[in-house]
Amino acid sequence: MAHVDRKEYWKIFVVLGVLTILEVVVAQIPGLAKGLVVSALVLLALVKAACVALFYMHLKYETRIMRLGIALPLAMPPIYAMVLVAEAAWRLL
Amino acid sequence: MSAVAAAQHADAHEAHGAETWPEDVHLGTASLGKIGMWIFLLSDALSFAGLLLAYGILRGGAAVWRHPGEPPLGINFTAGLTFLLICSSVTMVLAHAAAVEGKRKETVRYLLLTITGGLLFLCGQYQEYFGIWSHGLTKEGLVFGQSAYASTFYLITSFHGCHVFTGVCYLSVMAVRTALGKYDGGKHDHIEILGLFWHFVDLIWIIVFTLVYLIPVTAPAVGPV
Repeated sequence: MAHVDRKEYWKIFVVLGVLTILEVVVAQIPGLAKGLVVSALVLLALVKAACVALFYMHLKYETRIMRLGIALPLAMPPIYAMVLVAEAAWRLL
Repeated sequence: MSAVAAAQHADAHEAHGAETWPEDVHLGTASLGKIGMWIFLLSDALSFAGLLLAYGILRGGAAVWRHPGEPPLGINFTAGLTFLLICSSVTMVLAHAAAVEGKRKETVRYLLLTITGGLLFLCGQYQEYFGIWSHGLTKEGLVFGQSAYASTFYLITSFHGCHVFTGVCYLSVMAVRTALGKYDGGKHDHIEILGLFWHFVDLIWIIVFTLVYLIPVTAPAVGPV
């Protein structure tokens, strides 16, 4: 059945807002190692995207097959990106 | 489903209004419309993935990403746009919640708020590109076709902007149809499917904001190398 939970929606709204502020701060802190900043930013973005998909797009309340059928194709481009990064790093060795 | 069963199903719609689907072992009670929208969103996500991967390869392989004379991207202004899309996502889920509860007027009101959010985002993007109250990036020296930095920026953000525009059109049609009572009597599935599209546009922007705007550009080496 259709899942509706207004309290949960507002909680996620606060989480998304706070994480956005955190992102802007992390991106502009001077002196941090670039690898650290990039990893932190990508992690924050993935958490935000997951919040939207799970709660606003109701994926949390779909069946396991639905969730996997959506998550696995979406996981392919990041895996491809990691393979490309690994390949580039290998060539630099 | 056979044609007869489908016809009976359609009759049941007319009689009771509410849309119910036979529970599926794998997909639960997800409607065909919802599954169709998810399949479309997956293919759309892969289009964005293609653009973002190309961007990553170009940026990773460039000795200098932002050339002298090219303006940096405004992080704080765009963070505001990001927050605007998040707000419009909230009004979208609230519109769906109101639709489930059978409150037609409230649904329309939240849909109108969501449309406003989308329109403001498009205005923000216009300001960023061409300038409304200040110089836009196009006048500050970020010219499409001049560098990979400029071209990937315009291509990715405008492709997303097209999605926001499409979303605003889709929302507008659905707001009118809701106001006319087309989704009364438990037909809130249509609003949920609309929501899937709108939240997806927000979700993609979260990724684009991080990869295109937030990842800091390493300052080019000063002086002749």
